[in-house]
Amino acid sequence: MIRFVIPLIAIVLFFLEPIFSLFSPIELNNNLYILIPRFLIVFLIFIATYYGRKRAFFYALVFGILYDMYHIDIIGLYTFMYPLICFVSASVIRQIERRTSTVMVLSLVMIVMLELLSYLFASIIALTSIDFSEFLTRRLIPTVIANSLFIGMFGYMFKQVIVKRFSQKQAGF
Amino acid sequence: MPRIFSNKRLIILLVGVIVLVALIAFSLRDRNHANVPEQKVKDVVGFGQSLFTKPAHFVTGVVENIDTMLNTYEENKRLKERLDTFASIQAELADVKADNVKLRGIIDKQDDLRAYEPIQSTVISRNPDQWEEKLIIDKGTTNGVGVNMAVMTAQGLIGKVILSTPSTSTIELISTENSNFRVAAMVVGEQEIFGLIEGFDQQSRQLIMKRIDSSFDVEKGMSVTSSGLGGIFPKGILIGEITEVSTDDYGLTKLAYIRPAANFSMLDHVMVAKRSAIVVDGTDGGNSVDAKGEDES
Repeated sequence: MIRFVIPLIAIVLFFLEPIFSLFSPIELNNNLYILIPRFLIVFLIFIATYYGRKRAFFYALVFGILYDMYHIDIIGLYTFMYPLICFVSASVIRQIERRTSTVMVLSLVMIVMLELLSYLFASIIALTSIDFSEFLTRRLIPTVIANSLFIGMFGYMFKQVIVKRFSQKQAGF
Repeated sequence: MPRIFSNKRLIILLVGVIVLVALIAFSLRDRNHANVPEQKVKDVVGFGQSLFTKPAHFVTGVVENIDTMLNTYEENKRLKERLDTFASIQAELADVKADNVKLRGIIDKQDDLRAYEPIQSTVISRNPDQWEEKLIIDKGTTNGVGVNMAVMTAQGLIGKVILSTPSTSTIELISTENSNFRVAAMVVGEQEIFGLIEGFDQQSRQLIMKRIDSSFDVEKGMSVTSSGLGGIFPKGILIGEITEVSTDDYGLTKLAYIRPAANFSMLDHVMVAKRSAIVVDGTDGGNSVDAKGEDES
């Protein structure tokens, strides 16, 4: 059973993201704030840290393609960005201590990076015309706050599950 | 300095980047048609997604019900006041409708731009990285949904279908930044005043209606509906209410800002309008056909 727990969590997170985005444009004091759920990438970063870079790459590629085909209709955006984020975070984590808190902070930094990259892409292919300051206040900051809540709630659990599975695999299951 | 990449890895990376750029270019070229593998992926993922979304809708529905129950007393009082006028209006409407049918019979006209067949559907996901305003619903070509059909809620028009696979459809909301999204609209008044809905003002969250003939009087507070002259949308779907009128950049035609009647957030159940009258690929259809038309004129 524990064999399938990692792919299962990844699939559930993949399906939860669009549900949370259904609630998304939140209106506070006549300002619209856009929250982007980035649950899956957080989990992928945890896999890259505690399980293995190759496995994280594989998941990133598969879910990136699914994300592109299902939501974006441009194949190649997230297929590129998800593995890239996994690669960068795996390279960073090799230089520093693997405490849960540092991985949590790292995932937040990576979410910021992912948002910046997707803003770059969206402005290059003219999906959006908002300027950077607006992007910062209306999208980036709300997104980081919302996702930090998610990381705070589930980060520790992710670590436990992945470490458990990893040690089982080492034992030869 | 440590070497980050070995030669072999560098080559793999470069080839990967080239393939991805090619893929992006390939899929950007023709985004409104899904090829067979894409359709399969959309159908399968859409099915899985609906397994997650439908319980979520159920929970939000229960919360909403509790919320409305708390307001019942206030609402009931307000509704009772309106009920008195409602009865007389309904009688009048029935009379007018019967009259309309009779007159249609006299002039022997069967086709009606207003008639449409509603296809009820549930929203299963919204594009998570919200650069584009896209929804996916759980009805597709097998249920009769086709590209460019109008999508609405009980309040009014919300968008149109831009892509459909056998069991899912992608909808682009009218609140999009995409300038190729046009809807043939009209202002309802003593005479019908036609124009085109082109664009959405992100700051004020209002639609912009352009190309209104300047000889007509358009006033604040008038309501705007779809005109049915775009070729695909049925006539008479409520779009919104005019809040501001000005002239366009060249001063030749009028331009109106419209507050949308429908709410674009928290959408769960939507209706796809399949027009009964003959469908032609006009303004509602998209840029390619429209651009051709402009060249000719």
